Amino acid sequence: MKKIIVFTILAATATLLAQHPASPAHAGETDTVHSITLPEIPPTLKDGPGKDKVITLCAICHTPDYIPMQPRLPAKTWDAEVHKMIKAFGAPINEEDAKVIINYLTTEYGTGK
Amino acid sequence: MKRRTFSRRDFLKTASSLGLVTAFGGIPADLFAMEGRLVRFPEKTDLILLTSRPPQLETPKHFFKELITPNEALFVRWHNANIPTSVDLRTWRIKVGGNTDRSFELSMDDLKGLPKVTYTAVIQCAGNGRSLFEPRVAGGQWGNGAMGNVTWSGARLKDVLARAGVKGDSVEVAFNGLDSGVLPSVPDLVKALPVDKALEEDLIIAYEMNGKPLTMLNGFPARLVVPGWYASYWVKALSDITVLSKPLATFWMDPAYRIPANPCACIPPGTKPGKTVPINRMDTRSLIIEPSAGNTLPAGKEVIISGLAFSGGYGIRDVVVSVDGGKVWREAKLGKDLGKYSWIQWSLPWRPSKKGKYTLMARATDSIGESQPLDSLWNPAGYMRNNIEKVAVTVR
Ligand code: HEC
Repeated sequence: MKKIIVFTILAATATLLAQHPASPAHAGETDTVHSITLPEIPPTLKDGPGKDKVITLCAICHTPDYIPMQPRLPAKTWDAEVHKMIKAFGAPINEEDAKVIINYLTTEYGTGK
Repeated sequence: MKRRTFSRRDFLKTASSLGLVTAFGGIPADLFAMEGRLVRFPEKTDLILLTSRPPQLETPKHFFKELITPNEALFVRWHNANIPTSVDLRTWRIKVGGNTDRSFELSMDDLKGLPKVTYTAVIQCAGNGRSLFEPRVAGGQWGNGAMGNVTWSGARLKDVLARAGVKGDSVEVAFNGLDSGVLPSVPDLVKALPVDKALEEDLIIAYEMNGKPLTMLNGFPARLVVPGWYASYWVKALSDITVLSKPLATFWMDPAYRIPANPCACIPPGTKPGKTVPINRMDTRSLIIEPSAGNTLPAGKEVIISGLAFSGGYGIRDVVVSVDGGKVWREAKLGKDLGKYSWIQWSLPWRPSKKGKYTLMARATDSIGESQPLDSLWNPAGYMRNNIEKVAVTVR
């Protein structure tokens, strides 16, 4: 009997939480662990030659959606962006792959310049 | 770092007297992001998705009709993708030390044991409005929704630093959080403030936003609040406070988050800056919230033009509004004053009699006379947008 009541309360709490995802259960009380689960949102890259390399190499540190978020950029800016990822952040990308990726970026997300 | 001693307004005065201010550029379609891709993250309501990993989420425009931004609506901006998703307050501590007499760890109970300070302050991303830069620049493509007005509560940073005993030769105080890069080669987001700034009265280690614990995505369990300064210094999920005897020179201090070292923090579009300084105090802004760009209004009927205005910690002295593209300006009525760090709402009734197209503009001035330039000022990182925005409406 007791068990059933506990379960009912738990279920009710779960439903309440599900209905109000914006109000965490007493987050910040000194004796609690506060946790969240991040949603996974698939990237939205355009199809084109080099996309496979972009999906593997440009998704290591962040979603590759950093790419479609940008305005259309000239080739030299995409080149600088890719080399910033390599030099400033240590992206493990060799020059050969970098060329393929820059070509993809300027074709699919470039200004044509 | 030196305080900027003259304002963009002063620059504008000089610039216009030199004939440097060019004619109006194109009017952007809307000052706020399209609500195209709404997503719901934990503890947040539907926000505009910029990126999911790390989360970068923008506040939809309708929340800017409110004086206080609700916790679930405040924008989210992380730099590195290893962000804290679970924090155990039994073990979480802020380590305080470095160039100090003592070093120690602070628990949440320790923080809550210090005098509690509460005030309302605008939090704004340095790149708020970046998507409106012309020519466009790379980076987070925010509309104007990377800002919010929140009532923060916490312990004074200076009380914590006093307990540590800052040594006389200290120059900066560095702040680190629980987030980190996915690869070890990615620089950790550590931000430093000049020591005299860090010791100012109003900086707090905030553990509440609008009377509730911080949401995880906004920096649970505690974040730095540097009222009046851009949010890049408001380090989330604080883990370390380190007093330094040498300036911090890691990636996120240099070359990131720097502005041209001149009064307008601007350079000719498309060029490269010479000397730069770390970004610091926010400039003065006003934004028209209603009506929206592209709205059609009925002729002869009164509408209320309304919006918000804020500055880098000096309150707002006045807001003037023009409905004719900047020829005639009328003073708007200011709303409830929640203090110098808060935004203030303003409104002006308008009864357009003639049909046609109108360009609405609003211009705020803070208590030390800093105002907004007519034209947008450009810098390569797309920081500090604060020109007088234009909202085009049609009267029928
Ligand atoms: C080693 C980690 C890493 C890899 C791999 C990586 N990036 Fe990044 N990227 C970053 C970091 C860190 C930022 C800066 C985030 C910030 O400021 O919030 C960033 C930002 C960006 C931005 C936003 C503009 C800017 O300069 O801040 C773009 C665009 C981008 N990356 C594209 C790419 C592309 C294309 C690739 C693949 C060639 C790539 N990234 C691979 C770490 C990486």
